[in-house]
Parts: sequence; structure tokens; C-alpha cells
Amino acid sequence: MQNANDEDLALSRRAAEGDGAAFAMLVEKHERPLRAFLSRMAGPELADDIAQEAFVKAWRAAAQYDGRARYSTWLTRIAWRCRLDELRKSKPREFDVAPAAQEPGERMAVNDMLARLSEKERAALVLCDGHGWTHAEAAELLAMPLGTLKSTIARAKEKCRAMWSGDEP
Amino acid sequence: MSDEDFDTFLGKALVPPEREPDRRFVAVIQARIALEDQLAAQRRLALSTLAKQGLALLAVAAGLAWLAQAGPVRSFLGNESGLGLLVLLAAFAFLVVLMSPGAAAPSLTRRFGKA
Repeated sequence: MQNANDEDLALSRRAAEGDGAAFAMLVEKHERPLRAFLSRMAGPELADDIAQEAFVKAWRAAAQYDGRARYSTWLTRIAWRCRLDELRKSKPREFDVAPAAQEPGERMAVNDMLARLSEKERAALVLCDGHGWTHAEAAELLAMPLGTLKSTIARAKEKCRAMWSGDEP
Repeated sequence: MSDEDFDTFLGKALVPPEREPDRRFVAVIQARIALEDQLAAQRRLALSTLAKQGLALLAVAAGLAWLAQAGPVRSFLGNESGLGLLVLLAAFAFLVVLMSPGAAAPSLTRRFGKA
């Protein structure tokens, strides 16, 4: 893990000096989890636009990455801000893939369940349960206390469980 | 399905799908960065040109003001030295508009279209 981060820091420093090839390596390495996260947050179509915006901002801010956090954490923070900007511009639309209409008791697809969660519940659940982020990392990204993050994840899982079993109206 | 089983299922479903790196996406990012860098360079160039032209205009205007204060010009204009300065500045502004490159031609092309 530390070696991977050292490598990312070295690449980012080269990118800060204008080395496009180094930055391309960073994009190649991190685009998959970032786009997967954004796809869960905003739907697949908007996800790529936000990811592009985030990578361009990461390129411009490459000199600011100091290696204290993982590169993926730093990059996701940028993408999260892009997502929030995008949400502010396009309110009240929250999730760009509307949840499918559900018959009572019918089992839901994971995306449909996520679409019915709040933005922060969805982000916390996806990052901690799917992407292996620590609670502390996710709490920092979502700007909430650690305890609140843990209860947010628990609530999100509870909601998903209820939706899955068809208990949710 | 028990709560534990459901949590495991959900966790697995949320893991980013395994796939090869998307080189097309990488190329899109590189192209976008190249375009943004190009636009930034053009913006910098436009700003520095504007600053240089502004300075040049200020210098000429100051020169004209100084000229209007010169003894022979003042005696020629009599009590109307302020008016004289205005006339000089207006003449200068007219010349700038007349001689600035591309100031008139593109608007004519836009108005009448290409032959």
C-alpha cells in the first residue's frame, strides 16, 4: 500500500512538472474505481463527465498532492466536490438513473436500492463497503463526524435490507 | 437471507467491477488537458497583449496631454486648452480605431458574407 502511494506521489510530482505521460499513468491506474464510485453516485452517463472534470482538476492541482492521504482518496475528494457542484447546478435531480417501479415484495436491483438512499448514505456505503475505504477516510470526505458516518452506513444498510426483503413501502 | 448474508452480498455488489484500464478514457483526458493548456496559453497571450496595448495607449495619451500643455500649443489654443486636449484625444482615438488590425474587415465580412 505504502509503495503504491509512493509511486503515485512520484507520478504526481512528475505531473506537476508537466509530465503528461506520468499523469496518464495515474489516470490509467485510478479511473476504474473512480468511475465505478461516480457511476453509483450519479449514474453511468454523468459519471464520466464528472470523472473527466476531476482528472483535469487533479492535473492542475498536481503540485498540491503531498502523499499524506492515498492518491485515490485525494482524487475522490476532488471528484466528490465536482459531484456536489454538479448537484447544486442541477437540483432537484439527485440520481440520474431513476429507480425502477417496484411491485410490493419484489426484489430490487442494487442500483435501484442505492437510488433510494440519500447522497451521503450512498457515498458512505459504496466507499466503505465496496471500495474498502476506512471509516475515517469516508468521514473526512463527507465532512461528518466518525460516529455519524458509522450510523449513516448502518442506516443505509438497514434501508437496503428492508428494500431487498420488500418491507419498505 | 440473514442480515450477515445480505451485508456480504451487498458488499460484493458494491466492489468496482474488474476490467482492463480504459485507454480510450485516458486518451480523452489527455486530449482535454492539452486543449485546456492551449486555451490557458491563449488567454495568457491575450491578456499580456491587452496589457501592452493599454500601456502604449496610456503613454500616447500622456504624450498628447503633455503636448497640449506646451507653450506654443497653449498660445495657439488660447483659453481653450481643455478643448484642445479633447480634440487631440478624439483624433487619436479615431486613428486607433481606424488603424487597429482587423477592426473593420471582419465586421464587414460578417455583415455581407463571403464573396
